[in-house]
Amino acid sequence: MSIMSRINEFLAKASRLILGGGREALESQRRKGKLTVRERLDVLLDPGTFLETDLFVEHSASDFGMHSKMLAGDGVVTGIGRVDHRPVAVFAQDFSVAGGSLGRAHASKITKVMDASRDMLIPLIGINDSGGARIQEGVDSLCGYGEIFYRNTLLSGVVPQISVILGPCAGGAVYSPALTDFVFVVDRISNMFITGPQVIKTVLGEEISPEELGGARTHSAITGNAHFFADNEEDSFEQVRNLLSYLPSSSREDPPVTAPKPPKAALTRDVIPEDRRRAYCVRDVIRGIVDSSEFLEVHEHFARNIFTGFARLEGRTVGIVANQPRVLAGVLDVDASDKAARFIRFCDAFRIPLITLVDTPGYLPGVNQEHMGVIRHGAKILYAYSEATVPKLTVIMRKAYGGAYIAMCSRHLGANFVVAWPTAEIAVMGPEGAANIIFRREIEESSDPEATRREKVAEYEEKFANPYVAASKGYVDTILIPEQTREALVRILETARVPDSGRMPRRHGNIPL
Amino acid sequence: MDPESLCIDSAMYETEIPRNSLRPYQGLPDARDLKAFIPGTVVDVRVREGDRVSAGQVLLLLDAMKMHNEVCSAIEGRVAQVLVIKGDRVEKNQILVRLDAAV
Repeated sequence: MSIMSRINEFLAKASRLILGGGREALESQRRKGKLTVRERLDVLLDPGTFLETDLFVEHSASDFGMHSKMLAGDGVVTGIGRVDHRPVAVFAQDFSVAGGSLGRAHASKITKVMDASRDMLIPLIGINDSGGARIQEGVDSLCGYGEIFYRNTLLSGVVPQISVILGPCAGGAVYSPALTDFVFVVDRISNMFITGPQVIKTVLGEEISPEELGGARTHSAITGNAHFFADNEEDSFEQVRNLLSYLPSSSREDPPVTAPKPPKAALTRDVIPEDRRRAYCVRDVIRGIVDSSEFLEVHEHFARNIFTGFARLEGRTVGIVANQPRVLAGVLDVDASDKAARFIRFCDAFRIPLITLVDTPGYLPGVNQEHMGVIRHGAKILYAYSEATVPKLTVIMRKAYGGAYIAMCSRHLGANFVVAWPTAEIAVMGPEGAANIIFRREIEESSDPEATRREKVAEYEEKFANPYVAASKGYVDTILIPEQTREALVRILETARVPDSGRMPRRHGNIPL
Repeated sequence: MDPESLCIDSAMYETEIPRNSLRPYQGLPDARDLKAFIPGTVVDVRVREGDRVSAGQVLLLLDAMKMHNEVCSAIEGRVAQVLVIKGDRVEKNQILVRLDAAV
């Protein structure tokens, strides 16, 4: 065979494989409002940077007529590409080929790029669009999932792992995304559940649509399984690229540094309302502190009583955790604890300093919270902050009461620097509650209990609802007015260092789960 | 969204209270009512009204999830009412047997 005909043979084979399940299957994918697998990689990666691996891989299954079936690329596209010039390892399941079902060869292609991500210390991005296990391959398909989960776990804290759910992801398949750092979902396209609506109907007689059970909105707002929600696939990939811009390629390096930019509008001293019982949006405070007033919020729609997100201070990535007084008065509860703890641990793993903004009246009271395990879940914040060895800077803006004061990265959990504003109230509880307990007898015995109560509340407020008691003991390092905050944080971060390793040698700690 | 009020330590805070965040307490289940924990079909009823039963005793079998599930008494007592017969299709949480607790 001549060289020319060999090359032509190769080109013909490759172009057939690149079509995946064929023109009709790709058209059907488009009709569902979804991009095809190769269009997705085009949107995600820098143009022309994708180097594909294993295009010619074939399955070796023979049962149930599989021996005569050729599945292009075995239903997954894998390789290395670049995002903003930085290399990433990617796999993208191709629904047009046997419904993106996962067989042995499909899984081996995925574990190969996972190993590449480990060896090259570059982020891993998985695009999930699969009907699930390839039933014809039986237990081999389960082996494939297990080997992926194993690698997800070993890669955790080594390289950032990102999952984009762009189609069904059901049954055991959900656990690979669940083991990764960030899950991206798209409205009306993503679906994740362990058992689908059909099974639930048969077994339990309960009827629910796939969207309600495990659609993008459900996982963003109710379960917290998804961290980023988008209206369409293009926006979702833009979110992925934006997230990567804040992150190092692995935990061996520092996050990328960009040109410093001041906030668009500086903080003013009236950023928080005078009345401690009035709400405000903590995002306005964050905008007044960070570069360009820009941040990338993580878990925007889940546990909205706490804010978590990435931003930059003088060009350096920081992770921000902030109570959100606008929702549930900024209390800590089960979901907020889970959300914050996971974010703190991610930042600690990837050398991202933590900034904590505090304004919380305490924990959410209620039988429901107690029975949902607020003890077990609340412990995660304490654990995550105490464990973290990245620089930890805390700004106490207003209320910091009781156990929630301790939990929000107090000096006592190892904060490197604690700033309080003059409006800070660092106390064992709010004046109303404290006065009712301490002065119970005086109030009860008073001829005008209401007047006495008001008087005693004012007395307590005067004496304890301020930053000076804590500052007098060194629990607060400095008291600043809001407009000085950014400058102070920048200066402290300039000198702060991330230690090479964590704490005492041990196999690993045992975070309450 | 209109501001709502949330009371913490005697102080009222104006804030948004998301749906689902303050679900009412449902109470602990009453051990005297044996309920179907899953929809299914009753395939065997092993007690009659008036029978004395001990804690852990199998009172009936419920076919669901491809299994014959044992429905057991959590307490010692006497059967007050048997509300199903063999072959009945039952809904989730339907009461199957009522007991009087032993005194």
